Parts: sequence; C-alpha cells; structure tokens
Amino acid sequence: MTWTGAPRPAGITLAQTVALVLPFAIVASSDVGRHALILLSAFIAALGWEALFGTLRKRGLSVHGVTTALIVATLCPPDIALWQVLVSVSLGVILGELVFGGRGFGFIHPATVSLALLMISFPQVQLPLPTQALALATLPGGVLLFTLGLISGRVLLATGLAVAAALVLQGHAIEPLAVATALAFGLVFLVADPVTAAATNVGRWAYGALAGGLIAIFSPTGEITSQAVIFAALMAGVFAPLIDHLAVLAHAYRWQRRHRA
Amino acid sequence: MPLKSYETDLSARSWLLGAPQEGLALVRHFRIRKGEWPSSRDAPPQTLSNAPLVRSAAVLGTDLPGLRPRFEVEEGDLVAVGQVLFRDRKYPEVAAASPIAGRVASLDFGPRRTLSACIIEAEDTDPGATPPNKPDLGTARQTLLAKGVWPAFRTRPFGRMPAPSASPAAIVVNAVHAVPQAPNPVVVLADRQDAFRLGLQCLRRLTEGTVFVCQSPGPPLAADDTRTTCVAFSGSRASGLASTQIDRLCPASPQREVWTVGYQDVIAIGHLFATGEYRPDRVVAISGPAAKRPRLLRTCLGARIADLCVGETGEALSGDRISGRRAAFLGRFDDQITLLSRGRRTSRFASADRFSHHPRPLVPTRQLERALAIDIPAVPLLRALAVGDSEAASQLGCLSLVEEDVAALARHCTSGADYPRLLRRVLDELMEDAA
Repeated sequence: MTWTGAPRPAGITLAQTVALVLPFAIVASSDVGRHALILLSAFIAALGWEALFGTLRKRGLSVHGVTTALIVATLCPPDIALWQVLVSVSLGVILGELVFGGRGFGFIHPATVSLALLMISFPQVQLPLPTQALALATLPGGVLLFTLGLISGRVLLATGLAVAAALVLQGHAIEPLAVATALAFGLVFLVADPVTAAATNVGRWAYGALAGGLIAIFSPTGEITSQAVIFAALMAGVFAPLIDHLAVLAHAYRWQRRHRA
Repeated sequence: MPLKSYETDLSARSWLLGAPQEGLALVRHFRIRKGEWPSSRDAPPQTLSNAPLVRSAAVLGTDLPGLRPRFEVEEGDLVAVGQVLFRDRKYPEVAAASPIAGRVASLDFGPRRTLSACIIEAEDTDPGATPPNKPDLGTARQTLLAKGVWPAFRTRPFGRMPAPSASPAAIVVNAVHAVPQAPNPVVVLADRQDAFRLGLQCLRRLTEGTVFVCQSPGPPLAADDTRTTCVAFSGSRASGLASTQIDRLCPASPQREVWTVGYQDVIAIGHLFATGEYRPDRVVAISGPAAKRPRLLRTCLGARIADLCVGETGEALSGDRISGRRAAFLGRFDDQITLLSRGRRTSRFASADRFSHHPRPLVPTRQLERALAIDIPAVPLLRALAVGDSEAASQLGCLSLVEEDVAALARHCTSGADYPRLLRRVLDELMEDAA
C-alpha cells in the first residue's frame, strides 16, 4: 500500500452523505414534494456559499455542504417557510465552517449552527419529535460511519450514559427505547461528528458526558426533544477544544513524569 | 541449541528474572496492538542466497544527516573494503568506511557542504598482504569509531548518530521480525551466532545500562546476564520499530539518551572484533507487488539496487511500503527492497504533489488513533506538527518518535501532509534548542 490510499475529505463527505440518505428518505416519505423543496433550498444555500468562498479563495469546488443540507432538511418541520431555511442554512454554513476555512477547519457543525439559529430567530418554528422510524433509519448509517472510524464509540457511549444518569438525577423515569429514539439521529450526525467532537480519547469521554448532561438539562420535562439535542451539541462543540486542551495538558504531565526518571 | 554465555551471573539473573529455565520462553513479552498490521502478501521464502555481484555501492548523505565530510580519498583512488573514505569535520573520530573494494567513482557534496553520495565502483583490488590486527574489546568505542561502524547507531530522542563521547542509558538491539516481507533475523543469525554474541559483548562496553535484545517470540537469541536482556515483541508492524521498543523498555529523554542498533550491524561489530576486519554485510529481502521472485539476498551496505534486482522490472523502493523511498542505492537502515509496478504513484511523490496544492483538513478518525503504538494523542500531535509548533509537539512526546513511526499516520490522514518531513523539521529545531 502506498499513501495514495489515504482517505480524502471528499470521501468522508461521501460516506456521511450515504449515511444520511435513508433518514431523510424516511422523513420525506410523509410529504415528498414539500421536503424536496426544503432540501433544494438547503442545497442552494449551502452549496452556493461554498462555491462562492471556494472561488474567492481560489480553491477547487467542494460539496461538503451536501451533508449540512441533508441534516437540516431531515430535522426541519414540513411547514417551514423556504426563506427561513435559506437564511438559517446560509448563516450556519458561513459562521459554522466557511469563515474558518471550510469543512474540517472549524470546530462546530454547520448544521448545528443552522438549526440553533433557526430556533433562536424563529421561535414559532417547532421541530418535530424524532420518530422510531427515523431512529431505525439512522442505524445503518451509524454502523457505516462507526465502521469507517468516523464516529467514536466513546462519544456515543458517554453521551448515552450521561443522558440516563442526568435524567435519573432529575427524578425522571427512563424508558430506554424512548431515549434511544429521541437521541439517535442527533447523536450520530451532530454530537458525534468527528470534526465537532473532542479529538483525544480522554476528551471524548468528557465531551460525551457534557453533551449528555446538557441534553438532559435542556429537557426539563424528561422528554428529549430535537431542540435539546441541537443546543447541547452546540454547547458541547464549543467546549470541545477546551476539553481537548485539558486532556493534552494531563497527557503532557503524565508524559513528563514518566520520562523524568 | 546450546547457548554459550560469556559473562553469565546466575545469581543476579535469577534475582532479576526468576529462576533460569532450560529451553525457556522469553521472560518479558510485549504485544503491540496498535499500529498497522502486516500482510503476508508477496513475502519471500526465508532462505538465503548470495546476491549477484554488486557493480557499485554508495555511502549516502541521507544516512548521515548533518555530517560534513572531510574526504581521505580522491576520485579515482582504489579503496579496500572497510577503508576509511571520509571523516566528520565536527567529530574527526567519526569515520565512514567503504562497503566494497573498488575505485572511487564520485564524491558529491549536498547543500551546505554535507555529503550527497560517495559512490564506489567495484574493481578487483590487491587484498592487503598483512592480516589486520585483532582489536581489543577494551577499546571498543575507539575501534567502532575508527572502523566506520559508528553510523550504525541511532539515538532516541532525535534519531541521529550519537556523539562520539556520549554514553547511552541503554542500547536496544532490534531483531524483531515484524513484517513477513523482511528477512527473518533467526535465518540471518543462524550461522552468525558467535559474531552476534561477541557484538553484544562489545555493546556492553559502550553503556553502563542494559543491552536489550528485542526479538520475536521464540528461543532467545542471546544468553541473558546482568546487563543483557532478551525481550520479545510481537503484534503490529510497530513492534518492529525501535521507537516502540525503547518506549516500552526504557523511555528516552534529552537527559537520558538511548541508542538503537540493528542486529545485522551487531553481527558486523562481532565480526570486526573477532577478525579485525569490517565486513559490511547486509541481508535484504526483495519483495513487493511487482516482484517476480521474492527472495532474500546477502549483499553489502549501500549496494546499487539495480544490481540486486536482476530480472525484475518494477520500480524499487529502499525500505518497506510505508516508509520506503525511491532510491538508486540501498539505505543504511533498510533490509527490504520493495518493488512496485511502474507508473503507480507512490509515497513521497504523491504526497508532495498533493500538499503543494493547498492544505486539506485533518479529520480525526479512529484510524489515526490506532496508527501510533506509543501513547501519544495522534490528532493534537498532527496539528502541532502541521503548524510546526515544536513546543507543543515535544510536550506531547514527539521526542520518542522518528520519521518511520509517523509514516503510518500520514497514510491515514485526510490532510495529505508529509508528516515524516514535518516531524524531522520539529525534531531538528528541538535538537538545536537542546544543544
């Protein structure tokens, strides 16, 4: 094998896109025409800005925005106004990744930013609750991404455990199936995204615990909503670099002790 | 096979390692789970044959980084095997010897008066009538320096040739058969046991610490005593990397230098002390996807690869598939020649042209975490290397690594950056700071 076999960012985008197709198809099956329009608007916003930034920076065209558009289109309610999708995806893509230099250079997922801005700017927009069908449709994609090493088992496990623990501490009864259904999509595609999540193994546990704790805190009624997952992903993503930094400091301390002898 | 030991101290041995057993399993066994796993594709049969006659050989500047030569021969001179070709300007004790007998064909300088290559063309020379003097083990260090064996050692940290007066905390002999495509040390050592043991004895004179013999699981390659320990390493490719072995046995730091040396060089050292003659033999394996007949050859250091690969058409890398480089002559530390089909874009070239485009993002994948066998968080390390932050890299532990260790990371990273080169830049910077 030579290095020509090394993965490329476009390949990773392709894998994530493949993983997202089924969840979107399940959601869209209720109203194909409307969801196709939403997806189209999200595509136009995400890819349009990406093409503009790519041209201005004299880089080749990239299509990383496809995953952003798919995630947003999957979580949006069907009755949303298309201009709202255009505005929120534009802001999310620009503020979440393009100002940092594109996918992989930033620290939060542009879809998380888009959805968070959508909910802050338009409080009347209510995201639908994740259905069991959506959770089941997430499963194959999740397995694919896990096999390819693109989501970390540590993050998944830590988040799941932290959600359960925090819910119990708040005095809610846990229905494992309901919790898994509510978490699945957001956990796989927003919280565990490799660029967003912490990048050290110790950090991944802490990051997952933080995300899980926040999800439970943002769900005061005990019912986990998409909003809770999105805002938790946003907050945890903001803290991920700090978590990594602390993990690196701890590692450096251990390393120094070991090599001082 | 009965192993004759020279300085066995049984009481100390049993105190350290438990009671000695006959026919014994090795005492310490490290199984390395992280790192690339080798495949047995295109592996050569482990039988030795003599190489076709080498028509030219070279001493390469890439194997003596930073060395500025003061030549003792001129172009056109006749030289014998083991004759000193040049010495280092900074440390005149350090000499480099000719790997074959012949005529000096070219002496080329690289940038800043470093060595580019010194090429010798084989020619029959009159063998010296006087038999060489047998050196005394008491002058081990001086002999190794004067006879041109010194460049066989590499330090951790930094991965450079040690200073002539330096004293390591330990010496690690690497005789691990980690990839099936490489020669099996057991085969190479089969008729060189005495030389190997004498070589180990010589190594003990260079350090006050332990001489570790790292090998694959099986009968010990040497007899243990107070200061020689056989240790088994198995598992991934990384089990055959000296950095991994040093990390597990005796972590190095700038204040605590550890040296590593290959088992074939230990044989050469033993031979030198047994006969007074430096014989720079090297057993290499020819393998790779384009190799028509994978095989083991006994040849000499720095042999011209084209002379060894007679009947092969592939493009030759000196080294393995991961860290090998295209070369005309065999590298000092390589025991493999990998033949690739022509026209296929390969390691260094591919990465160079990809990197010149513009930097691509680094996506933290599990493969990156699993590529390093040493406990260093991969993604922060790669980020530090990518921006040349030597302070952060050294805090993370990059001083335990050399180029060959991060070659696997480069294969799994989306950024396409040439991490071996970036690591070397950072290590050079840290070495200047430490000096």
